[in-house]
Amino acid sequence: MSVPARSPIPSSLYSPSRNAGTPVSAPQTRNPITIRLRKILGTNFTDEATTEALQTLSELYGTQSPVSVSDSKARTAEDPDSDDDWSDENANTRLAVRDHREGLNETASRVRKNLRRDLEDKLAQGSQQFLQAFSEVDQTLDDLQKHVAAMRIACDEAETQLRLSSEASQSLLDRAESLRSEREGVETRKSIVMLFLNRFTLSNEESEAITSREIAIGPRFFEAMNKAERIRNDCRVLMTGEDGPTKVGLDIMASTSSYLEQGYEKIYRWCSFEFRQMGRDVQLEVGSTMRQAISRLSQRPELLSEALAFLTQTRQTALLSAFLDALTRGGPSGLPRPIELHAHDPIRYLGDMLAWVHQAIAAECEFLESLFGLGGLEDEGRARRMVGAVRTFEGSEEEGWVKELLNSAVTKLCVPLKVRVQQTVRSQESSIVSYKVANLLQYYMLTMRRTIGDDALLSTTLSEITEVSYKVFFDAIEAQGRALLRILLDPDDPSLTPPLPILEHAQLLREIMHVYDSSVLDETASEPGQSFNRILDVMLDPAMDMCAAAADEKTRHRPQWDQAVFVLNCWCYLQSVLEAFEFTSEKRRTIQEKIDGRVRLLEDEHYENILRDASLYDTVAIINSKSPSDPLSHLLPAQQLQPTLARFSLWLSSPEVVHSPRLSALSSPSLHSTIHRVCLIRVAKSYAKLCEEVRKSENRYEAASTLLGMERPFGQVGVLWAIFGLEEEGEESTVD
Amino acid sequence: MALDEYDIDATELLETYDFLMKYIIIGEAGTGKSCLLHHFTHNAFKDHSQHTIGVEFSSRTVKLGEKRIKLQLWDTAGQERFRSVTRSYYRGAAGVILVYDITNRDSFLNMSQWLTDARALASPHLVAVLVGNKSDREDDREVEWAEASRWAAENDVHFLEASSLTGDNIEAPFLLAARSILLSIESGILDPEKAGSGVSYGDRALRRVTSSSHLSFGSLSGARRRRPDKLRLKGWVPSGKCC
Repeated sequence: MSVPARSPIPSSLYSPSRNAGTPVSAPQTRNPITIRLRKILGTNFTDEATTEALQTLSELYGTQSPVSVSDSKARTAEDPDSDDDWSDENANTRLAVRDHREGLNETASRVRKNLRRDLEDKLAQGSQQFLQAFSEVDQTLDDLQKHVAAMRIACDEAETQLRLSSEASQSLLDRAESLRSEREGVETRKSIVMLFLNRFTLSNEESEAITSREIAIGPRFFEAMNKAERIRNDCRVLMTGEDGPTKVGLDIMASTSSYLEQGYEKIYRWCSFEFRQMGRDVQLEVGSTMRQAISRLSQRPELLSEALAFLTQTRQTALLSAFLDALTRGGPSGLPRPIELHAHDPIRYLGDMLAWVHQAIAAECEFLESLFGLGGLEDEGRARRMVGAVRTFEGSEEEGWVKELLNSAVTKLCVPLKVRVQQTVRSQESSIVSYKVANLLQYYMLTMRRTIGDDALLSTTLSEITEVSYKVFFDAIEAQGRALLRILLDPDDPSLTPPLPILEHAQLLREIMHVYDSSVLDETASEPGQSFNRILDVMLDPAMDMCAAAADEKTRHRPQWDQAVFVLNCWCYLQSVLEAFEFTSEKRRTIQEKIDGRVRLLEDEHYENILRDASLYDTVAIINSKSPSDPLSHLLPAQQLQPTLARFSLWLSSPEVVHSPRLSALSSPSLHSTIHRVCLIRVAKSYAKLCEEVRKSENRYEAASTLLGMERPFGQVGVLWAIFGLEEEGEESTVD
Repeated sequence: MALDEYDIDATELLETYDFLMKYIIIGEAGTGKSCLLHHFTHNAFKDHSQHTIGVEFSSRTVKLGEKRIKLQLWDTAGQERFRSVTRSYYRGAAGVILVYDITNRDSFLNMSQWLTDARALASPHLVAVLVGNKSDREDDREVEWAEASRWAAENDVHFLEASSLTGDNIEAPFLLAARSILLSIESGILDPEKAGSGVSYGDRALRRVTSSSHLSFGSLSGARRRRPDKLRLKGWVPSGKCC
């Protein structure tokens, strides 16, 4: 709203009213006017509106001054263009005239003259009023204008204010924005810190699980321990990435390590407690919690070994009392009977004791293996070891523990076992039983070695005991040997068979060999019989010496007693005792060598005897001793040779040729025939040599073939062979 | 006589158990004791088996009904020369598996001696199971099933035939003995709490005993009642025995 717009307003208001009253632009368009005219001509002025208009007009003039009427009439005349208005006015006037014809003719004429002026006056008056009114309005508008201007100023001011304040608040907004982003950052950091804390610290529950005595060892505890371990590992990794150890890293390490220590401490206390409870039963089993606890505690070997010390203690006591129970009290209501009930039967007594120990070890071993989580795990990988099989300690830590614990668990059994075994061993009078006991002990020694290792106390104890028992046995048989050596032969006994002490000794040896043969020892590894040779030496050497020595002694008193045959008989007998057992082959060979020596002596003796019996001894001796230059006939004249050959012929007819009465005393017929045969061969060879010498021309025998041909075998060596019943050997070989 | 009739689950090892039982396996040399045991513990035939030296030990946990039973098995040498050693292991055995070779009549004829020995030396309530091994070699059979079954009935032992080669019936003798022993415990003849009985409680059973003070065998007996037709005990159980 601007001030200059004030003046046009009244003119514009005036103008339309004037146009409406007097249509000025009518001639421009003919047609609409015609239409309009027709319409007006057709108009009935009796309608209400027209009537009312006329009424109003009449009222105006009823009280109107004549001036105004003339004015309006003048005005009508001055406007000829407005035919319609004119005719309208005319019509109106005519009506009014018609109504007020009687007295108002004057008025009417005045009206016709002054209508226009009246109307203009009226209009001017109205305009005046308008002007007045509008001036008021103008006044008011001016005020309004002022107000608006004031408002405008105020608004501008406000805007400035706003701008200022907005400028002022910008920094605040920026601040808020930065604060918000800062808060976001802080939130992120907070969540990171929380995550970090979650990852690198133990929650209250977890630390409680580790430290509190109230919470039992179980999955929750192990979980917490796991976490602590993991934290340490992660932390370590992080710290290696840094330039150096950070404080938080060090703190975390410190706190987790303290938790872990407490945890291990707790496991240790728990294990110790559990282990102390494990004394009651011989058979044990291990729960998964225990197994896990042990595997964890193996991180702290010193704690583990302390805890295991308790276990060892309880197991030692438990096994010892169980062993003593089995020894003295037996099973429930005395069945199975106590082991000591059979103390009179050393084999059974010792066997039962050792078997008990072996079985206890097997159970203990299973227990320990499951404690360390061994055994069950091996199932898939490799075949399960049986207790009898060789145990291989592969050097893993757990296996080391198992071995050590097993060793110490049975340690306390060693003393009662050793005492009882030694008692039993020492009280044995029979060397057979001693030998059986020693064998049994050796078997168990090997078994235990395989089961619990060579250096376990039980193994060493057993090997000690075994040694002792072998010593006892060897002492016994050595004493027996010495006793044998002191035995003298009955000088009046003409027999050449082995004497009774030898027979008894041989019987003992036979029994020992039987025991060895059915020995429980696994001999497949070593040379069969290797370990038995010493026994054979100890048993046989004195016996053989005794035969020879005693025979020598006897011969001194009874020279005609056939010592050689006797010794051979004894030795052959001893050898025959060994024959049934394969593992004695070595000893048999050495005996055979000795026998062969003796046989050669006997052969020489027998050969001489035969030569003497056959009267050829001197002749053969002369032939063998003569010098080549001397003719034999000078040393041995034909007259002397002839009777010798006759006596030889006579001897050939005697039964001694095929059967020697002396050798028949030999217990071995084959030895008899062998020796005799060898001697006969030598005789035949000697005869052959005799014939050869006689036939030689340089020996200057007259009618040599006649001399030889007089008596059997007529100088024919082949005949002699036939007589001896021997196959003739090659001629070449007969020539000595 | 299939094994699965027992509903066994023998895959687990070294777990907690209710009972621990000690068995001995005896019989003449070469009847396949070690192979039988090997098949039982390893589920495979043992090739090139040598004569056992002395005794060997192995163990296995089996499940019978709801009871888990750990078996400690002592395999003995059959050869005469080990007799003095092996006899010491009879002490306190709860069960004995007598093994003979169906293709070797002598190994069966000696069973009486083995049984007498075992009864004399082991626990008084010894449960015996006679096993005719090598049932896969039907062609060489020298001991008739009926004859062995009769002998078993006369001597109050369980009987069955098995093959350690094919694994046929391999677990049945062990389970049969275990079941008999459990029944003995149930009826109060055997007391696992006493040493030398060859049976002892495992951790599981102990826990149960302490918590309820009454040992229930309902599952075992119940299972048998429910499925009487499934357990074809044809001749396994001699007359007068449980069942």
